[in-house]
Amino acid sequence: MLNKKNRWSLVVFAVIVLLLVGSIFFFWMRANDEVRSIVEEQYQTQQLILTQYVSYSIGELLNERVLLLEVVAQKQQGVPDDLFRSEFETVYEVADIYYVLEFIDANGTVVSGYPVENVPLGFNLYSNNMTWAFEHVRDTGEVYISEPVNTMEGIFGAYVWVPVFENRQFRGSILGIVSDENIITQFETTSDSSNYVYIVDDKGMILYDQSGTYEKGTNYLDHIDQNDTDRLHVLEAQMGGMMGNGKYWQETTDGSEYVLVSYSPINWYNQRWSVGLTSPGDAVDDIILSVYVKLFTVAAVSVLFILFVSSQVYIILLNWNKTLEREVEKKTSELQESNESLTAANIKLKELDGLKNEFLSMVSHELKTPLTAMKTSSEFLLEDRCEPAVRNQLLALIVRNVDRQARLVDDLLDISRIESNRIKFNMEPVSLPEALDHSIENIRRLSESKGVVLRVDMPQSLPAVIADRDKLIQVFVNLLNNAVKFTQRGGAVTVLAQDSGDNIEVVVSDTGIGIDPSHVGHIFDKFYQIDSTSTRTAGGCGLGLAITKGLVEGMGGSIRVESKPGVGSKFILTLKKAQS
Amino acid sequence: MNTENIDPKILALMEQNPHMTDKEIAMSLGLDESLISQRIAFLSDTREKILIVDEEIDASTALKLALETEGYNVIEALDGYEGLMKAKSENPDIILLDIMMPGMDGFEVCQLLKADPASRHIPIIMLTAKGEVDDKVEGLEMGADDYITKPFNLKELKARIRIVLRRGTV
Repeated sequence: MLNKKNRWSLVVFAVIVLLLVGSIFFFWMRANDEVRSIVEEQYQTQQLILTQYVSYSIGELLNERVLLLEVVAQKQQGVPDDLFRSEFETVYEVADIYYVLEFIDANGTVVSGYPVENVPLGFNLYSNNMTWAFEHVRDTGEVYISEPVNTMEGIFGAYVWVPVFENRQFRGSILGIVSDENIITQFETTSDSSNYVYIVDDKGMILYDQSGTYEKGTNYLDHIDQNDTDRLHVLEAQMGGMMGNGKYWQETTDGSEYVLVSYSPINWYNQRWSVGLTSPGDAVDDIILSVYVKLFTVAAVSVLFILFVSSQVYIILLNWNKTLEREVEKKTSELQESNESLTAANIKLKELDGLKNEFLSMVSHELKTPLTAMKTSSEFLLEDRCEPAVRNQLLALIVRNVDRQARLVDDLLDISRIESNRIKFNMEPVSLPEALDHSIENIRRLSESKGVVLRVDMPQSLPAVIADRDKLIQVFVNLLNNAVKFTQRGGAVTVLAQDSGDNIEVVVSDTGIGIDPSHVGHIFDKFYQIDSTSTRTAGGCGLGLAITKGLVEGMGGSIRVESKPGVGSKFILTLKKAQS
Repeated sequence: MNTENIDPKILALMEQNPHMTDKEIAMSLGLDESLISQRIAFLSDTREKILIVDEEIDASTALKLALETEGYNVIEALDGYEGLMKAKSENPDIILLDIMMPGMDGFEVCQLLKADPASRHIPIIMLTAKGEVDDKVEGLEMGADDYITKPFNLKELKARIRIVLRRGTV
């Protein structure tokens, strides 16, 4: 499991990765917006050029067609005999936008026209109260174009009034009705399905709407919500005869739609119109969709790359971290181990040092004590003031202490030889009963004086053991001596021997004071003192058992002890059997 | 009945009648005549009394023989406990105290004797195989009056005993 530190580092790492991914998406969105605004601008510029072309073309067309009528009106310097009929026919065919061409005489009566089926011959303006435009051109001598309306002929069109003068005398007016249908047919090819053209005049009236949304003759302002400022702004610019681009949101049945619009004015004599070209905002998106896709692909690939690289980096860091942790753990445990072993060694050294100091102190005491007795006795003897009986007592004391000193020196030499492996064993088959008899002889005086019974129990057929005879006797003497020393008067020391496979087992047991369990493990340690009281009481300086063990092991055997305090001790020796 | 209680009674009887025999005293106190004789011999012993506390019998025996020839009354104790008991019951004039002893060592014995008002006045000479300066200082701080290292010169020891005893009587 992840620990707390790792969890935190994972969180920090995740935050960094998220920031990177977030910034990539942020820049992707920014790039999208920038690309979109650039493309949109270019698109609108292009649409505006198209719109300008359309408006210019329409304006040119209309002005040219009206100019034809002006030429007809002025060419004859009066009214021709056929009342313009032949010119009308020519103009009608050439212009191709007129619904009908008529000549109205100075009295306001339609007197000729073409095509004949559309001409209301004899129709009088005065009697029908439709004289305003007629009188306007008579008075001004200028061409006048009325606002497009639904005419009495049943079409939506504009009236073009061209006055005819002869010698400055007003002779009448040529009237041409221009149908919107006829104009638009000239530009049928300009739009595709998503782009729509509309035309409004300077009052906002809709003259043409290719999309068919709004009815001709209605006012565009009536269709626009007063809050739709973007669209109102566009319409105001159009009504003011300006040229430019705009955009607005338009409600549709599917919700709202973003619309781009370009507009350009048409100037046709007294008429001021404006052409608008709308295209849906989606059109721009359609163009840059592939750019979007490519940008998105780049962003997505970048994100995936970052995620991949960061996960790899994280895994590497995690493993590195784990390796480091493991290394640190390993080193720590190694340090701990070496520390423990050093501590243990230190304790052991201190123990040894303590034992050494204790031993030196003990040896010094043991050496000085007999010396003191000898010196005191000798000095007293030198004074020559004592009785013969006292003199003998003192001499015996000196001899006894010399022996004691010699024994101690022997022990010290023995242990020194055992420790430095300098002791020589003269190994040979030794008869166990013989060696034991010899040992018991050595100890008998002591046991008898202490009142301790010595018993030996071994089969007569016991095979010989491989040992150094003298050292084996020394071992038995040491063990028996110890047993007798620590056994009270009336107690018994028993020696048992038995065959056990390749070995002979000898058990020296006593009914003495026994050994406390806490000391059992140490009694063979050199210089180990169970209790100075008992050692003192029994004599010796704690080397006997260490020497015994060293000798037994030197002869290829082993020794161990079993003891119960107050009941007695058992020293169990195993010795190698001699080959028969 | 221990000896400390007997002695004042014997002394009181002898004060009343200086010519009273051992037998008469024993009869009036209801005790064995030999014990009374022993106590009277003890009470009439005017020699200076030395207590040797040492676990090593040979060393203390040799010293005892030498000091007895000098005219001292010498008694022995083989360990610290026995030393403490004899210091109180025998009321010695000086104690020769070995340090390295089983059970209770010499330092401890010295400390206990010097802490007890009944035995505080008894001078103590420490007697040991330990020759380190620290040991000497420790012994002296425990209240020992002198310190002598084993093996010692017999004449020197006798001189030191005399000096310490003289110091005690001044």
